[in-house]
Amino acid sequence: MTRKQRRLTLILTAGIVIAAAGALVLYGLTDKIVFFNSPSDVAAHHPLPGSRIRLGGLVEVGSVVRDSDAKVSFAVTDNSNKVPVVFVGILPDLFREGQGVVAEGTFETNGVFKAETVLAKHDERYMPKEVADALKKSGQWKGEATTGK
Amino acid sequence: MKPLIALFAREWRLSIRVGGGALMGALFFLIVVTVIPFGVGPDLALLARIGPAILWIGALLSTLLTLDRLFQGDRDDGALDLLLMGDTALELVVFIKCLAHWSATGLPLVIVAPCLALFMNMDPQAILATVLTLLVGTPALTFLGSIGAALTVSLRRGGVLSAILILPLTIPVLIFGVSAASSLLSGPAGFMTPFLILCGLALFSLVVGSVASAQALRLAAE
Amino acid sequence: MALVDFANPTRFVALTARVTPWLIALTIALFAVGLYGTALAPDDYQQGATVKIMFIHVPCAWLSMFVYATMAISSLGTLVWRHPLADVAARAGAPLGAAFTFVCLATGSLWGKPMWGTYWVWDARLTSELVLLIMYLGLIALWQTIEDPLKAARAVAVLTLVGVINLPIIKFSVDWWNTLHQPAAVFRMDGPTIDPSMLWPLLVMALAATCLFLTLHLLAMRNEILRRRVRTLRLMEAARPGVGSERSA
Repeated sequence: MTRKQRRLTLILTAGIVIAAAGALVLYGLTDKIVFFNSPSDVAAHHPLPGSRIRLGGLVEVGSVVRDSDAKVSFAVTDNSNKVPVVFVGILPDLFREGQGVVAEGTFETNGVFKAETVLAKHDERYMPKEVADALKKSGQWKGEATTGK
Repeated sequence: MKPLIALFAREWRLSIRVGGGALMGALFFLIVVTVIPFGVGPDLALLARIGPAILWIGALLSTLLTLDRLFQGDRDDGALDLLLMGDTALELVVFIKCLAHWSATGLPLVIVAPCLALFMNMDPQAILATVLTLLVGTPALTFLGSIGAALTVSLRRGGVLSAILILPLTIPVLIFGVSAASSLLSGPAGFMTPFLILCGLALFSLVVGSVASAQALRLAAE
Repeated sequence: MALVDFANPTRFVALTARVTPWLIALTIALFAVGLYGTALAPDDYQQGATVKIMFIHVPCAWLSMFVYATMAISSLGTLVWRHPLADVAARAGAPLGAAFTFVCLATGSLWGKPMWGTYWVWDARLTSELVLLIMYLGLIALWQTIEDPLKAARAVAVLTLVGVINLPIIKFSVDWWNTLHQPAAVFRMDGPTIDPSMLWPLLVMALAATCLFLTLHLLAMRNEILRRRVRTLRLMEAARPGVGSERSA
């Protein structure tokens, strides 16, 4: 082989390897890498009691119950499945019903998720309160559908 | 093909025979893994949970530790200039050198990993997963590391700088390696997804490492 | 050879001297308008007044990536075209980029504490931005370690180009993975999701920050050129005569 041919073979091989690498990564990315698991993931995989996971979704409207001693119980939903959660501690300002949250903790044997930290997730929409109210009034409000997918 | 095989044999023999090459990395790996239980306390359940991560970090540090031998010796005795002027493409030379370096320093880490995993109280399935990910991941670390070694080849004490430059690039490998290795222990995240991405990253770093290191060596020699 | 003329460092220094006062004035004016707009901007329906952190945080985040992109282009200039100003531009950009990245991370964690409930989480967006900061610092370290500025420039250029991979990861991390960080609000396919009353101060602030970067970058480039001249003069002084193989003006 001449020098030029060898160079060409080398470049071709490198190209093929890069393409294979890209294909592998893209194939892997089709199955989403997650910072948190949704209630549907939990329903599909049944994590073992005691294993640590992050659970993400929306706080179900009407599910928040505050006991004494800063103990809060609520349900996290993704509109198809839901998981009951208990948490003891201080919740972030944004925590409210219908809001996206990410809770980290473990499942107990009775299927209740015991959260050690609860983080609030907010969506990418920013608007003044009046605009939000007006949108809600005129029926153009799209809800919290963008969070917690 | 023949010169490449000869080069591989030369590199391999050098890393084995010249004092403290291959053995040093494995020994360092052992010590890092031994020190951690003293840091986090001897809680066996906790150790089993973070075991894959500890083995990965230990392997990463050991790989970085031995990297300065990759081009330094050749530069000191002038062999690097011969390789630069030689007929074989420098990218290919770098590739062979890294491969030989990995088989002498990275492979021993993979081999001793199961024994160290026992110290961590890991169960057989997790050990298997960790060894598999290390087998795929350590070549990626060596090839990425070669970039740092090549960039700092002209510096007298380039070891620390090389580590600083390389560590950010290795973070994706570390993330997917550890998440694949510890996937069997916890949660619904599967083994295959991060493992495939790790394989992709490894292939990617073979090419990027060879090309970027060759370029850096050429520029340093100018 | 018009292009070479334009690349002449002496002319460049003269040019910066002429442009800088205007740029400074423009930067101050834009910041005045932007900060006034920020003060006027209404509170968010969910986040209240905390949302004002956005007007600092988002421009810094954009610039942290923009500066890296300019450094990557300069690196191509160093390696491919051997342009005499390219490595000066890349070197002057690195500390600025590091500063923007740091401000972005700091304001972000101040924003995260009241809203998310934590200063820091290891999600993809935050981690990749932190990696960007470490890479900036690594590039600066490499530059300071290699003594010969020409060799340093080439080594840094190779590393800068390898690190470009991080930019799309930062940008798309919020789309590829479900992160705690919210998705993009301005640069997205279906138009911005920020109310116009908040969008315009944000854009003005972004423009102001870009002008600030351009001003500081030109000044830093000028300083770097002068520093290299001093170095060359010293070397010539030490090894006279005529060993000045150093490239400079």
